[in-house]
Amino acid sequence: MHTGRRHFVGGLLAAGLIPKPTWADVGSPAYLAAAALPDGRYALCGIGAALDVLFQIPLPGRGHAAAARPTRPEAVAFARRPGTFAVVIDCLTGRATATLTAPEGRHFYGHGAFSADGNWLFTTENDFEAGQGRIGVWDVAAGYVRVAEWSSGGVGPHDIQRLPGTDMLVVANGGIDTHPDSGRVKLNIPTMAPNLAYITDGTVQQVAALPPALHKNSIRHMAISTRGQVAFAMQWQGGEDVVALLGTHRRGASSPVLMNAPAEALRAMRGYVGSVAFAPDDRRVAVTSPRGGLVQVYDTQAGHLIESHAVEDASGVAHARGGFAVTSGLGSFHRIGAVPESRQGSGRYTWDNHLIAITPDSA
Amino acid sequence: MIRILAALTILTLPTALAAQDDAAMVEDVVNSHILPRFEMLAERSDHLADIAQETCEATAPPLRTAYGEAFDAWVAASHLRFGPTEQDDRAFALAFWPDSRGATPKRLAELIADQDPIANIAEEYADVSIAARGFYALEFLLYDPAISTMGDATYRCQLVRTATQDIAATTAAISRDWHEDYAARMLNPAPDGTYRSENEVLRELFKSLTTGLEFTADTRLSRPMGSFDRPRPTRAEAWRSGRSARHVELSLDALNDLAIRMAGEGTDLASEFNTAFAYSQTRLARLDDPTFSGVSAAQGRLRIEVIEQGVQAIRTLARDELGPRLGVAAGFNSMDGD
Repeated sequence: MHTGRRHFVGGLLAAGLIPKPTWADVGSPAYLAAAALPDGRYALCGIGAALDVLFQIPLPGRGHAAAARPTRPEAVAFARRPGTFAVVIDCLTGRATATLTAPEGRHFYGHGAFSADGNWLFTTENDFEAGQGRIGVWDVAAGYVRVAEWSSGGVGPHDIQRLPGTDMLVVANGGIDTHPDSGRVKLNIPTMAPNLAYITDGTVQQVAALPPALHKNSIRHMAISTRGQVAFAMQWQGGEDVVALLGTHRRGASSPVLMNAPAEALRAMRGYVGSVAFAPDDRRVAVTSPRGGLVQVYDTQAGHLIESHAVEDASGVAHARGGFAVTSGLGSFHRIGAVPESRQGSGRYTWDNHLIAITPDSA
Repeated sequence: MIRILAALTILTLPTALAAQDDAAMVEDVVNSHILPRFEMLAERSDHLADIAQETCEATAPPLRTAYGEAFDAWVAASHLRFGPTEQDDRAFALAFWPDSRGATPKRLAELIADQDPIANIAEEYADVSIAARGFYALEFLLYDPAISTMGDATYRCQLVRTATQDIAATTAAISRDWHEDYAARMLNPAPDGTYRSENEVLRELFKSLTTGLEFTADTRLSRPMGSFDRPRPTRAEAWRSGRSARHVELSLDALNDLAIRMAGEGTDLASEFNTAFAYSQTRLARLDDPTFSGVSAAQGRLRIEVIEQGVQAIRTLARDELGPRLGVAAGFNSMDGD
């Protein structure tokens, strides 16, 4: 175990030449985001708090989200579904140090989470012959070796995160069945049943589901407050108007609470939320809709929408000082919900889906 | 400065004209592309249900002909997946495919083995597993050697009649909703409407074109190819009835019609589309492999791959040329999120 870890970290550390590197040593990236480059290649970028690109690491295909390892400047970037690669990146050197490949019969969904001590990585996966969601368990210290597999508690698991200060995982089971032999075609819309599943050590502790009338509201992404409140964002697969695109839940509560918004405002989001994030105040939540070209901010205590901002092809969102940072597929960075609000170009990057906030050394 | 102002004037003038053009284009697409397709689908499905009342024998030529004609009409409309087709899962009830885990034959075999009385009444049949409904289920009942001969012939006959009535009811509902409601919604975008602006209508139509092309390339053509080492000819669409290549042909014809209307007849872009579609269409016509069984041999596989690449080229043309022209050339998250 120790040998493996030492080998993984590399000779520099083993020789004791420098102290164990931390996130602060990497020119302090505050965020990670996948991007497409003008020449058609894909990359994972480290982004500073000033919304400047600090480093760029090539990916073998289109990326989706990433997970930052607590305790060490290391991240894993995941392929967009139904991709099968994940790349471990040393954010200190800006190099890829390992590649994970989904096992035979599985593909990644694009998200993953580390255990509190950073020793285990959990990935959302599709057991596509069975049509069941799985959580892949990887031994980080051994060099990202696949060691176990758990049920995700549903179909189509997408986002996965950990409740702060615990090893309780929360999985957004989107409910949508797909099979790689038919690409991204949705196979079970009429019967889909999304849920939020709380999992520790391979055991599903609780499943929180939506009312039956909302079974076509795919729970896809989550943001978790420092106090463990789960905000979950949805993508509506029904024909008629959607009644909510954001909800909150707390482990142990019997059912989720749906956030209110005028029908008009929901329609403007085109039934679709791409990313979700809490503000540093742990109260406001922002959701992005590239299809609606909108970022909407909710007050989760009051339980309703408070503001809307037009951002064309809005994609990733994460907390930033006083509010939120937002990326767009048209290559811009935005600050929203804080004073002053701003917009700046990022040049040649076409930002994909998510902006992952790195919480240094947090457990 | 003067030069900048002049440039701005030039830029804004065509925009005003474009708004009128856009409205006219949408009207043309709705009235001449969308409505006739759903009318045709409803008519032919109604005819199919009538024929099935007369003759329910799986091999009866009139039944198979009526089935083929109604299925043709569905494929020609299958890219129009929004509004009335998505209400109550109607599109899925007509077309449960791809069926990666074989749910359709499984459910049908269960119904036949149990002689489930739900097959006696069309209205109730809408409550069976969606995998046992629609054109792809009917294909098993008419063409699959096992399902079409399984169990009690009288029960199977009833199943064919009920399934066709169910198809007729679903397609009638889609056509009715388009005529009585949804066409007006598309033609009259309003701040409190389904579409808040002309741009949102254009986006919906553009998405139909691009996702239709994607489905034909990735699912109708690529899926049976599998990998080079493991071709999957039995994953071809509707191969039991020998309709795989025909579906590609029908969908390309329909998408070509839509692309030309959106590009504007007689424009350079329209002729570029015609050329791009013709590339795949002519190669498909020469293929002479109705079920894509040729994917199992290197030569046949290559020929199908060339057709598929041709369809991908049409997608690129739509994305790079038509999208920007319509003002719907947003980044890749809005057209292709996750």
